[in-house]
Amino acid sequence: MIEAESLTKRYGANTAVDSINFTVRPGRVTGFLGPNGAGKSTTMRMILGLDRPSSGVVRVNGKAYARHHAPLRQVGALLDAKAVHPGRSARNHLLAVAATHHIGAKRVDEVIGLTGLEPVARKRVGGFSLGMGQRLGLAVALLGDPATLILDEPVNGLDPEGVVWLRGLARRLALEGRTVFLSSHLMSEMAQTADHVIILGRGRIVADAPVSEIVARADGDSVQVRSPQVDHLTHLLQAEGATVSRVEADLVSVTNLGTSRIAEIAAAAGVVVYELTPIARSLEEAYIALTRDEVEYRTTQTSPEVNR
Amino acid sequence: MSTTEESPVFIPADGALDFGGVVRSEWIKFRSVRSTWWAYAILLVVTVGVGAQVSSSLSFDGMPGVPTQDAIQDMAVYAVTVSTDFGVLVVGVLGVIVIAGEYGTGMIQSTVTAVPRRLPILVAKALVVAVATFVVSSVALAMTVPVSATLLAGNGVAVRLDDPQYWIVLLGSVGYLVLVSLIAFSVGALLRSTAGGTAATFGLLLVVPVATSFLPAWAENIAILLPSVAGDVLLSYPTEQSWVDLAAPTAGSAWITEPWQGGLTLIAWVAVLFTAAAVLLRERDA
Repeated sequence: MIEAESLTKRYGANTAVDSINFTVRPGRVTGFLGPNGAGKSTTMRMILGLDRPSSGVVRVNGKAYARHHAPLRQVGALLDAKAVHPGRSARNHLLAVAATHHIGAKRVDEVIGLTGLEPVARKRVGGFSLGMGQRLGLAVALLGDPATLILDEPVNGLDPEGVVWLRGLARRLALEGRTVFLSSHLMSEMAQTADHVIILGRGRIVADAPVSEIVARADGDSVQVRSPQVDHLTHLLQAEGATVSRVEADLVSVTNLGTSRIAEIAAAAGVVVYELTPIARSLEEAYIALTRDEVEYRTTQTSPEVNR
Repeated sequence: MSTTEESPVFIPADGALDFGGVVRSEWIKFRSVRSTWWAYAILLVVTVGVGAQVSSSLSFDGMPGVPTQDAIQDMAVYAVTVSTDFGVLVVGVLGVIVIAGEYGTGMIQSTVTAVPRRLPILVAKALVVAVATFVVSSVALAMTVPVSATLLAGNGVAVRLDDPQYWIVLLGSVGYLVLVSLIAFSVGALLRSTAGGTAATFGLLLVVPVATSFLPAWAENIAILLPSVAGDVLLSYPTEQSWVDLAAPTAGSAWITEPWQGGLTLIAWVAVLFTAAAVLLRERDA
């Protein structure tokens, strides 16, 4: 369980995290989503006490992270896979971190096996690929068999097989009753892994809801109808409870009514229909729409409202 | 929500964070990078090698005057500890690297995540560096003593190894290296940069003493508090007759003359710099 209250981080005049409140609950995977620079990493660093909040508090499993007697048993974190001395072997890095909590070599070799690091465990970390570095970071996070996992962009650099493995791992850890909090800047990734998402944009929370709800919100299912008798059809559809808005002279956008029902109504009234197109906004588009005003840097050409 | 879900609650295993664990962790880190081994290998080889070379070429032949036993002991101490000023460079770099290297590589994030109270990290690291430096420089001197005494005896210089003052100066040399490693460590922790930390450490140890020699006379009383001056005091054999010039009396510093005073000066440097580093470690973002 992670609880943030009015959590704020300012760097001079720039507010990276702006008085956010959220709760990450155990037993499910919570995604932390937002464009680059939204404040995700800063929030995670504050949870772990690496950065001191400008104001507000954040608690992990009831108290500030640093106040736990065995911090690594409470929280396993992967923030920056590069946070390793390149001259040290992966196994020695793990042994060093484990030693602080009297975690033995047996557990170290266990997490090496779990993350598939055996072939490179005794090699110096400096020569690791991005994916291997990421697996080492995950091994460190798992060392204390922690109740809460905080993973910043964990799929970053993993090969496709590694991505699938990580999704399975996150789900399994959540099923065991642990709190799993992982960040990404890709909605599609979250949609496949998370049960719940917190969306951050420019330091503020834009959405905090179950994935299913975000998906439902995204699918504001609309249908495009093109007809020479568009005015007549509009009356008929409105009578059925649909919301109709004019797009072009002969084109309307219809919500609250499915394509088949629209076709039946048109056929019954003898209205000619040239085009009947269901428009479903993708999750990614919903996310872009949610965070559109919250992106710090954006390319000047915005994506079209609808595609297909 | 009033309904409780059937999801299990995860309970973490036992095994807590304590200072012993942090020391063990720092020891694993210290011995698992090459720079440590390089530094200590160089320290060991140079101490024994240069000590032996200097011992083989020192004698009182051709010097005017008759050496007292004090002058002989003074020469013997010089021969064994001759490379201390070089050792200072080695342990200075090592002391800085041990902490500043963590900032350079990002390792500090992993370290602070495992030990979020932070202060034990600094204490454990300092302890590991100090103990390792003590052991390695002691071993280096212990190896140099018999070699040096034998070679000096060959040159007609009969060193008395049962002289406690001889061993006190050797201990002073070890103490100087240990305390310099801690000064360098504290500077590295303050500056968080290997390049900046080594530059500042060597500036303090090598450049500032030269710079202060150009200041007016009253400033010499301040210059005498420099770590390098304290080091000189620790490394000098208490004698009326120096081996360098048997006729001239030894020139003592103004008011720091005893080894314990030199030692205290260095300890004060460590205490001030280490405290500053500890305070900033708590305050700053990692």
